[in-house]
Amino acid sequence: MSELMKIQENLRETARKLLANGEASLVIGYALGSEVSRVVPAFISREDEVDRLVWNPLCINNLAKYLLDYRHEPGKVAVVVKGCDSRAIIRLLQDNQITREKVIILGIPCPGLINPDLVAARLDPGAQITVAAVSKQDFSLQTGEGTFTFTRDEALLKKCRDCEQHTPVIADFMLGEEIPPNDPGDPFVAVKTLEELPVEERSAYWDKQFSRCLRCYACRNVCPACTCRECVFDQAEPCWVAKANNLPENTAFHLIRAFHVAGRCVDCGECERVCPVNIPLSLLNRKILKDMKDLFNVPTPGTSLEELPPLGAFTKSDPDEFM
Amino acid sequence: MKAYTITRDNLGAWLDALARDYTLIAPVREEESVSLFKPVSGFAEINLGYTNSTVSPKGWLFPQTEEMFFFSTGGDQITLADAQTPGPAVLFGLRPCDIKGILALDPVFNGAYQDCYYQKRRQDTILVGLSCTRVERDCFCTSMGGGPTDGGGADLLLTEIDGGYGIEVLTPRGEKLVNRYQQYFDADRENRVIPAREELGKKLAGHFTRNVDTTGLKEFLDQHFELPYWGELARRCLGCGICTYICPTCHCFDIFDQSPDGESGVRSRCWDSCMFSHFTRMAGGHNPRPTQKERVRNRFLHKLKYHRDRYNLDGCVGCGRCVTRCPVNIDIRQIIADLQEVARHE
Ligand code: SF4
Ligand code: SF4
Ligand code: SF4
Ligand code: SF4
Repeated sequence: MSELMKIQENLRETARKLLANGEASLVIGYALGSEVSRVVPAFISREDEVDRLVWNPLCINNLAKYLLDYRHEPGKVAVVVKGCDSRAIIRLLQDNQITREKVIILGIPCPGLINPDLVAARLDPGAQITVAAVSKQDFSLQTGEGTFTFTRDEALLKKCRDCEQHTPVIADFMLGEEIPPNDPGDPFVAVKTLEELPVEERSAYWDKQFSRCLRCYACRNVCPACTCRECVFDQAEPCWVAKANNLPENTAFHLIRAFHVAGRCVDCGECERVCPVNIPLSLLNRKILKDMKDLFNVPTPGTSLEELPPLGAFTKSDPDEFM
Repeated sequence: MKAYTITRDNLGAWLDALARDYTLIAPVREEESVSLFKPVSGFAEINLGYTNSTVSPKGWLFPQTEEMFFFSTGGDQITLADAQTPGPAVLFGLRPCDIKGILALDPVFNGAYQDCYYQKRRQDTILVGLSCTRVERDCFCTSMGGGPTDGGGADLLLTEIDGGYGIEVLTPRGEKLVNRYQQYFDADRENRVIPAREELGKKLAGHFTRNVDTTGLKEFLDQHFELPYWGELARRCLGCGICTYICPTCHCFDIFDQSPDGESGVRSRCWDSCMFSHFTRMAGGHNPRPTQKERVRNRFLHKLKYHRDRYNLDGCVGCGRCVTRCPVNIDIRQIIADLQEVARHE
């Protein structure tokens, strides 16, 4: 059995036990979606439903933020997290958005995910993935119509190419063999290329991106660092950013959001994934991530529970030349 | 109905001429896998090979942000001034589902209630349709009463044929446009345009990967407002604006003023979305759709029931955009199938 399928079995067994002995009232994981290339976030509260849970290379969504929907309900919620998603758990814990005692973290060491567009292009949309495996060289997906392999080079999801922690940084149950962190190389190559452009060109680059923003707020809604009870962009009075969709307002929206998540963005890549018009949001957030690393010499936010976000912590040795 | 043919070279020349004489709105490839309808200055900018644009072309008739009027106050007077409206335009290259989308908006803005902004743009805009040549994996227009070569509602319909395009004249306005530029067109002497389009339609009909059946669904929903299904479905919804903003038939808007000095400014309207939590929030804080369950239910009831109640038209034309872009796979085709299943067990 492939490691992925072992994890899937382990996941189902763990979920079954947690629900059976009443330790968890809900398990948030992944289930098969409406097409072969999609999985959906699944909310399992009955033992007889745990076999819907799957683990395969299409499990992209970061499920951590759903914990907020259940924080005021009695009972514990178990949630499936990959390495990148686990940083979001720490993010939510550090911001006191969730309490440690009320969540059960089901960690999955994740070897990297597959670009769903390639799967959609090659597999019959109506097929169902029954077995999945990942090796150092390729992904293989088995459906009723056969086994399809994709080389890692062509098919590895963009964000996974820079993966820092395959193994979750926090977990109550580790559902698979730990995968040592690899050296992802320099995650800031694209940021640096952009930084080197003359200011007019950089400005033109972002103008082109921001002008097509729909202000659908999917990037905000999916973001584990965006947890304000009332978001500035929803306030009518005072009106910080007008509802009008145009370049100045859109730019204001993007810059304000980037600064609001500065030092708290865990680099999960969800905002960029959900954007319907492919705005390269990770480039914007990684620019700030890079600056934070340069200025404060800190790891990616959410890497450790002890390491407080530099902009949210205070020490006596902080420089205070502006005072 | 009259038909013409046009060579590829002449099509380019015609579009250049249209861009000169009208505001020409056409599909443009904006980024890898993002195409949008935008004003263009000529043929070179247009991407005719697109399948479904990322955002529907409704934004030309119902812009995401539209200035309604300017106001200024002085003494005890308020002075109003009309906002500028665009003049004659050609909306070029509309896919059949998007033409149907416009037909679904018409009774909302141009029916019992006449919305002067929409009406003016609609009157001033010539619609040129373009038969599909490919069926995308999420398309299901044939399930919603349309079809990939069904251009009804447009003024002209183009279809790719050997050596160029065929053009069918569907309205007197379309006829006038062709006459104005007749140097680019040839009469369809061998009567090949209509058979070629019908042939293409037959071929494409077999390419749909998923068909849905809405038979009896409205009648079921008429009787069942409360269903546990909505609560389950809504758990994963992000409450974002993707599905409603990119949809060709969604049409909710909000009205707001911008006035830097509090004395003069502009009143505009902009798209709003029933999926946003504050969409129905009233002054004082009460929200009649307090959770995502009510919002998700509203969206699907609007598509599958309310639009039919009001206008006897489907509120979904099967373009598949929301299916493709929803980040959590809320797939209206699956929802229709699920609801049919729920109905069977009631
Ligand atoms: S998801 Fe994309 S289109 Fe939507 S608000 Fe964010 S950047 Fe804009
Ligand atoms: S800003 Fe984007 S990458 Fe950063 S935490 Fe939020 S969703 Fe993830
Ligand atoms: S259904 Fe999908 S696209 Fe629509 S609001 Fe919910 S998450 Fe966003
Ligand atoms: S509901 Fe979805 S499939 Fe139907 S018309 Fe709107 S975007 Fe297209």
